[in-house]
Amino acid sequence: MPTETILSKIKERLPDAVLDITEFAGEHILHVKGQDILKVLTELKDDGFHFLADLTAIDNLTLGGFERFAVSYHLLSHKTTERATVKAYISEEKPSLPSVESLWKTADWQEREVFDLYGIKFEGHPNLIRIMNPDDYDGYPLRKDYPRLGRKERGDFPVIDRPIQKKKRQE
Amino acid sequence: MNHDDVKSNVLTTTLESAINWGRKNSLWPMPFGTACCGIEFMAVLAARTDISRFGAEAIRFSPRQSDLLIVAGRISIKMMPVLIRIYEQMPEPKWVISMGACASTGGVFDTYSVIQGVDQFIPVDVYVPGCPPRPEGVVEGLMKLQDLVDKEKLSDYSPAPTK
Amino acid sequence: MTRVTEQTLETDKMVLNFGPQHPATHGTLRIIMELEGETVTKATPEIGYLHSGFEKLGEDLDFNQYITITDRMNYLSPLCNNVAYALAAEKLIGIEVSKRTEYIRVLMCELSRIADHLLNVGMLAVDLGAMTAFLYGFKLREDIYDLFEIATGTRLTTSYTLVGGLMRDIPEGYDKAVLKVLDEVDEVANDIETLLNKNRIWQDRTKNIGIISKDDAISYGISGPMARATGIEWDIRVNEPYSRYDEFDFDVAIALNGDVFDRYLVRMEEIRQSIKICRQSLSKMPAGDVIVDPGLGYSLPPKDEVYNSIEGLIYHFEVTMPNRGMVPPVGEAYVPTESPNGELGFYIVSDGNRTPYRVRTRPPSLINYSIFSKLIEGHMLSDAPAILGSINIIAGELDR
Repeated sequence: MPTETILSKIKERLPDAVLDITEFAGEHILHVKGQDILKVLTELKDDGFHFLADLTAIDNLTLGGFERFAVSYHLLSHKTTERATVKAYISEEKPSLPSVESLWKTADWQEREVFDLYGIKFEGHPNLIRIMNPDDYDGYPLRKDYPRLGRKERGDFPVIDRPIQKKKRQE
Repeated sequence: MNHDDVKSNVLTTTLESAINWGRKNSLWPMPFGTACCGIEFMAVLAARTDISRFGAEAIRFSPRQSDLLIVAGRISIKMMPVLIRIYEQMPEPKWVISMGACASTGGVFDTYSVIQGVDQFIPVDVYVPGCPPRPEGVVEGLMKLQDLVDKEKLSDYSPAPTK
Repeated sequence: MTRVTEQTLETDKMVLNFGPQHPATHGTLRIIMELEGETVTKATPEIGYLHSGFEKLGEDLDFNQYITITDRMNYLSPLCNNVAYALAAEKLIGIEVSKRTEYIRVLMCELSRIADHLLNVGMLAVDLGAMTAFLYGFKLREDIYDLFEIATGTRLTTSYTLVGGLMRDIPEGYDKAVLKVLDEVDEVANDIETLLNKNRIWQDRTKNIGIISKDDAISYGISGPMARATGIEWDIRVNEPYSRYDEFDFDVAIALNGDVFDRYLVRMEEIRQSIKICRQSLSKMPAGDVIVDPGLGYSLPPKDEVYNSIEGLIYHFEVTMPNRGMVPPVGEAYVPTESPNGELGFYIVSDGNRTPYRVRTRPPSLINYSIFSKLIEGHMLSDAPAILGSINIIAGELDR
């Protein structure tokens, strides 16, 4: 079954979870509400999309969209070589949605990365701690309101004191 | 023994030049390779550009047994405490070569998590520019370091003033 | 005096730190292992020691400038990253490139694949004690670097593609140089296989180590030679062809056991298939132009037009000046490609400005590495370098 048919059947089965189905450059995107993502992905996994290729998030602060944060899942089916994208929207006040680690083990580390860089919490994740930044880092770097040069963490190290000093020679 | 035998078999020099000659021809590097410059450093060790011509082939990967730290690659804020610790574990005399643009100044990565130059925290002797530098460039950096070592005097080293 | 028996000895678990600075970790990884004797009972990997903020940089650089940053991700095969990003940007904007561009891109990708697999097999051999494969592989990599230098100008950080084409065309006589190197690659691959395949020590250290089952591979999202070594028949060059790969004739290497030895065999066979593809690309290379019409505002016009004609100068300014130039459509695109590590894809979201809104790399190293803690349980400490070497972790792509 082609992807379009599968996605429209999902819309018929779960009408209040699905916000929209769009298409761009030959790819089909399903937009859903964040809280219902586990139901939608379980259905898609049963329909043949058994491989989760990518899990990431987008901050829609200046782009616009249904809500501020969108978590996007890229799915693949080996049998029919079809791909589909699912975007789950969550708001700024309550940035959390269910974790899909029970369906695919690869979501473990990728959801930790989304938590580290965006601050989106995943309910039901076994080990939601920072993965890329140090453990005592403050802030969520990839949000649009975080400055690219950081907030002075990169200059915050002690200058080393050598117990022996060496006179510098002129060349 | 006559005078010609002595002249052709005995070499006189100062203590400082002998020590400097020994040190400069056996600089044992400790490669702290993190990123792409690490791969170019491996090419320096391999067959075409061969750093063992300069006596620097004993790569021991232990800071306590080496005297040249080559910082090759970008240093992030999570890695900086590790670098400081490794630098403190090396015994004196020690030298540092900062290889590549990222270790010297931060390189292309002007972001929240890359240290903009290790020389803010560690004393660096030679900077090798390039992204990544060609292996011949690293060899030239090593030769410049050998010139620096050659000019050192024993009186240059003194205990640091206590605070 | 009582004799000390086994029941009176108390054993304790030891926690070992396989630290971020270690000769056997390929780059800056850290694994905290709990050992009981020599056997590993639990391993917790910790990453992020090379996190440089690539994705944050992508929002400030425009489409062509970001290609220089993609080199630094998988620095063993940078041309594959350049091609993957250019494909994603071209799908988003909707540009079609010329046939000659696609053949040259295939040639460069396959040469990078040979270089990457040679280094990976060499490092795996060095970690297990066999230095010769590393030295042979590195000498050959220097020859491949010479080829890259003739075509692109540098050895490692090539930045060869543009959105809509390539930076420059390959020079005359390039095919003779490539064919000579390909003959040498054949010989070196034969040498390495003679040294290692039937070697009793190699087989003891790599067979039945780190076995991945097919279901685990799909659940953990594994792709590339690691997945093909478990029996999954999926190669993006064959199943979802991009850049005219369907016009080339080659086989896909698949093994059935899923252990370290099989992954090594799959990589050696892929080197041979890459040689076949390179030869076909050179013999069937079409004539033509490598840069799509510069009037669209995406790729730079050739330099002699910029200096000698007014249209060339105007197009050059249109592409490079800050408030002019490309206006991509609002949307998003994801193109998967087959890098030597697995499925590498760039996901670009654009909001109509000259810089992308969000650039995301799907990192095969990170996703393949997540299965490590499951693989090492029950094995001995000295199997850890073997398994790490067979996963082919590249720290630049892992942490980005």
